[in-house]
Amino acid sequence: MHEIRAEITANVWQVVAEEGQMVAEGDELVILESMKMEIPVVTEVPGVVREIHVEPEQTVQEGDLIALIDES
Amino acid sequence: MHAWGPLVDALTERKERAFGMGGDALVERQHSLGKLTVRERLELLLDPGTWVEYGLLADHMDAGLGDRFLAADGAVTGVGDIDGRKVAIAAYDFTVMAGSMGKVGEDKIGRMRAHAVAQRIPMVWLLDSAGARIQSTSGSSFAGAGALFREQVAMSGVVPMVAAILGHCAAGTAYIPGLADFVPMVKGTSSMALGGRHLVKAAVGEDVTEEEMGGSAVHTKVSGVADLEVADDKECLEVVRRYLSFFPQHNGDAPPVRECTDPVDRRVEELYDLVPTAPRRAYDMRRAVAAIVDDHDVFWMKPEWAKNIVTALARIGGQPVGIVANQPMVLGGALDVNAADKAARFVWLCDAFNIPLVFLHDVPGFIVGSAVEKQGIIRHGAKMLFAVSEATVPKISVVLRKSYGAGYFVMNGLAYEADYIVAWPTAEIAVMGPDGAVNIIHRRTLEAIEDDKERAQRRLELAEEIRQNIDPYVAAGHAQVDDVIDPADTRRAVARGLAVSRDKRVSRPARKHGVLPV
Repeated sequence: MHEIRAEITANVWQVVAEEGQMVAEGDELVILESMKMEIPVVTEVPGVVREIHVEPEQTVQEGDLIALIDES
Repeated sequence: MHAWGPLVDALTERKERAFGMGGDALVERQHSLGKLTVRERLELLLDPGTWVEYGLLADHMDAGLGDRFLAADGAVTGVGDIDGRKVAIAAYDFTVMAGSMGKVGEDKIGRMRAHAVAQRIPMVWLLDSAGARIQSTSGSSFAGAGALFREQVAMSGVVPMVAAILGHCAAGTAYIPGLADFVPMVKGTSSMALGGRHLVKAAVGEDVTEEEMGGSAVHTKVSGVADLEVADDKECLEVVRRYLSFFPQHNGDAPPVRECTDPVDRRVEELYDLVPTAPRRAYDMRRAVAAIVDDHDVFWMKPEWAKNIVTALARIGGQPVGIVANQPMVLGGALDVNAADKAARFVWLCDAFNIPLVFLHDVPGFIVGSAVEKQGIIRHGAKMLFAVSEATVPKISVVLRKSYGAGYFVMNGLAYEADYIVAWPTAEIAVMGPDGAVNIIHRRTLEAIEDDKERAQRRLELAEEIRQNIDPYVAAGHAQVDDVIDPADTRRAVARGLAVSRDKRVSRPARKHGVLPV
């Protein structure tokens, strides 16, 4: 299982992907908002989105788990 | 048959033995690892027929090693040409006692360092070495060792230094790249670490492979010690040639200008599609950089590390330039400790060798918060301020969209002796963005509003008022930017900025050196 973690302290602005969805490398999963910028969180691996651990308006710290990808 | 016959034959035999390196079995082993031999590497690196070798007939001369033969004492040294220009070479031979650093081999390399400085030519190390030859140097005669690093420090900024990592390098051979300007690493077969695997196991009890500890993935993506990960030896030697093509032979010379067929006034209309006008929206700055420079030809430096800032060598009108550009796609382009390090180092590199700098601004500022304060963002940010302030090469700035706070300063704002600074119509230069400023300027007003909805609405209105004053035409009205340009004219604007600032002279009060924040 591939872990996608936050690279910056941020607010979750949008959750783009859904659990169970197939994703390709580079696809957006979540868009964070920090430093007044939209910061897309993408998957570095292709696969299936198993779990999404965040929801809009929530705050994440650097290193927090955002999603789990079942690598294909 | 004249009397010289046997003498010449004996000489030839000695040379052939040296060219045989560590012997057939070890040469085969080198190949089986996917690596080239030191001789094959030199052939790929240098222009054909230009190699002048020093010390081919060297051996270890160490009684402790008995009558063992060590070809060239494991370090091939000499001078050859790259694109018709001389370069001093030190190439470790892994087939000879694992490329370990012996007394004679190191004397040879010291001679090359001296030659590089005396001739003012670049120095290239091809590193494939286990480090010190402990068999010969385990005692306290070590007390006199270490001149290699001090000499390398003295060379820094005088002649370009490249350290290519082509094998597993430990300790001594890991500090050589640590002090060099440019460090490419071969994926899978190279590593560098202060202590090799066995030493690490013994000293700290960690069980780790060379690759895990100091492979190209670690140093090009995590530590930032290396600049570029390459697929194999051949590509590594190609990038060394390409890297040096941007540099003068020494700091007293101008970088080589190439013939250029890409018109400097070429309109770059793809920037309209590439860069969103909405300030919060991300895009890939690398594509904007490629679109602006000659022939879309870019040499990325540290592309996989601190990706929130882009540093690259390229050409504009044939003239080498160093590009520093924020990357909105990563961390929104906000600056953190690694981005500041990466940019400061790159600015120092370009400034040392008279390569003009081009800054492309799209930066919301330095990241704030307790996490970055613990990492020392202030001293790292200060380092970037230091480097950009110190740089006396022509410095051109283009403000694409946001450029806020100290982010604007470190990206070569007007006050940083920018020689030509232009803004796009989307440019927002200010101490901070309106959404941040509103909470500070109008905090009391907003706190006094009890209804959440009403407060949010008022915040938007007040932010909009602030936004009215964040406008490139306000900056242009104060003549604090030299022009506002059509994005498609960016290449032309940069070329013009370079043309008008070519003969820049800056004098500063004499000092030994500043006190560098690191």
